[in-house]
Amino acid sequence: MISKKVLLVGNFGVGKTSLIRRFVHNEFSEDYISTIGVRVSTKVIQTNKESLKLLIWDVAGTNGDQTVPKAYFLGASAAMFVFDLSREETYINIVKQIDMVKELSGLKNIVVIGNKRDLMTADKLHILLEKVDVTIDFITSAKENENVEDAFKLLGQQSLK
Amino acid sequence: MKNSPQDNLKKENRFELLRELLLEDDREKFNALSEEIVMREKVASRVDPLIDAKLNELRENFPVEFGEVITDTIKTQIRDSQDEVVDALYPIIGKLIKKAIVVEIKKLSDNINKSVKRTFSFKDYFKRKVSGVNEGDAALQDAFKPVLEEIFIIEKNSGILLGNRSTENIANKDMVSGMLTAIKSFAEDAFSKEGQDLEDIKFETFHITLYNFNTIYIAIAISGVQTLDFKEELNNKIHNFTEIIFDNRSNLENEKKLNKLIVEHLIEG
Repeated sequence: MISKKVLLVGNFGVGKTSLIRRFVHNEFSEDYISTIGVRVSTKVIQTNKESLKLLIWDVAGTNGDQTVPKAYFLGASAAMFVFDLSREETYINIVKQIDMVKELSGLKNIVVIGNKRDLMTADKLHILLEKVDVTIDFITSAKENENVEDAFKLLGQQSLK
Repeated sequence: MKNSPQDNLKKENRFELLRELLLEDDREKFNALSEEIVMREKVASRVDPLIDAKLNELRENFPVEFGEVITDTIKTQIRDSQDEVVDALYPIIGKLIKKAIVVEIKKLSDNINKSVKRTFSFKDYFKRKVSGVNEGDAALQDAFKPVLEEIFIIEKNSGILLGNRSTENIANKDMVSGMLTAIKSFAEDAFSKEGQDLEDIKFETFHITLYNFNTIYIAIAISGVQTLDFKEELNNKIHNFTEIIFDNRSNLENEKKLNKLIVEHLIEG
């Protein structure tokens, strides 16, 4: 089976760990878990051709205020940048943050996810999408299990490119 | 009826004539070949000394004529295959360094033996000489014999588990190897100077030794008390094992094959 390292990056509290919990364990914890440093999980997914084992590195603090060992980004085959749709501070510098992830990881494309759809009304979401300067690949809700599987599937496909 | 001598002579002439007729073509070919060989020998006797002289000249001037081209080619090859070169050199350099250290330790050991000989009684000295180890070490070895509990072969940057051997059933080995890599990266980033690798993680009676190579590292969890002999034997096994796996890098892409090599060279070897 092919194994690939993939990254999950984004500010504290945007729901990265919740997305992983939903994806890996298929359950959602209401407990707020602020990730410190990194947490590694694994999940086997099916691609068109074969099984793919994802080694998911949930990396914290990529907003520039925290220092994360650069080595966390090395050897990754794909990365997902997660921001919180309900908190502007998590996407206000999104272009800069994504560029930093690209620079550290050497990856050309990053999957962009707007999480916490369950906290947004349709109108608010519409206004927000106008503000964000990058293409968002999926709008997800870890709480309501919306688009989570598809987001990770895209991440898996990116890792094989 | 008996043949007369005239009859016999006539028969011989006839055979001679028949042979002439039958072998005429072959004789012509033979003569042509013979001439060609003679011609070649003549040419060779003139050309060979010239070729030998040219070859000698080339041999003498080879470094001047081709040195730069060959150096550039080797440099390009090394630059394009840095990982392979470094991995191939690691075990060899390791062995060379080890040999030097062993020589120095031997000298130190000889000095200690001289001191021991002077200091202790003949009876105690005799006991140690017979057993090969001192009594304290022997007692420790029996009580806390070192055991290789886990062996993980891990891709250095990604933390992907390439092969492993466990005595216990670890639930998620991939996650363990990923977290171990993350902890290693964190420790190296926080405490070490550039290029230094984390080599040991120690618990009370449990020890994780990390053998670092360019593209992979080997994590071995050992329980019990490690003696110098045990460490040296393990180092030898690691060097032999890495020589084998780096000799053919496809070993690192085949988990089953790698696991078999781990058993053969690190557990049973």
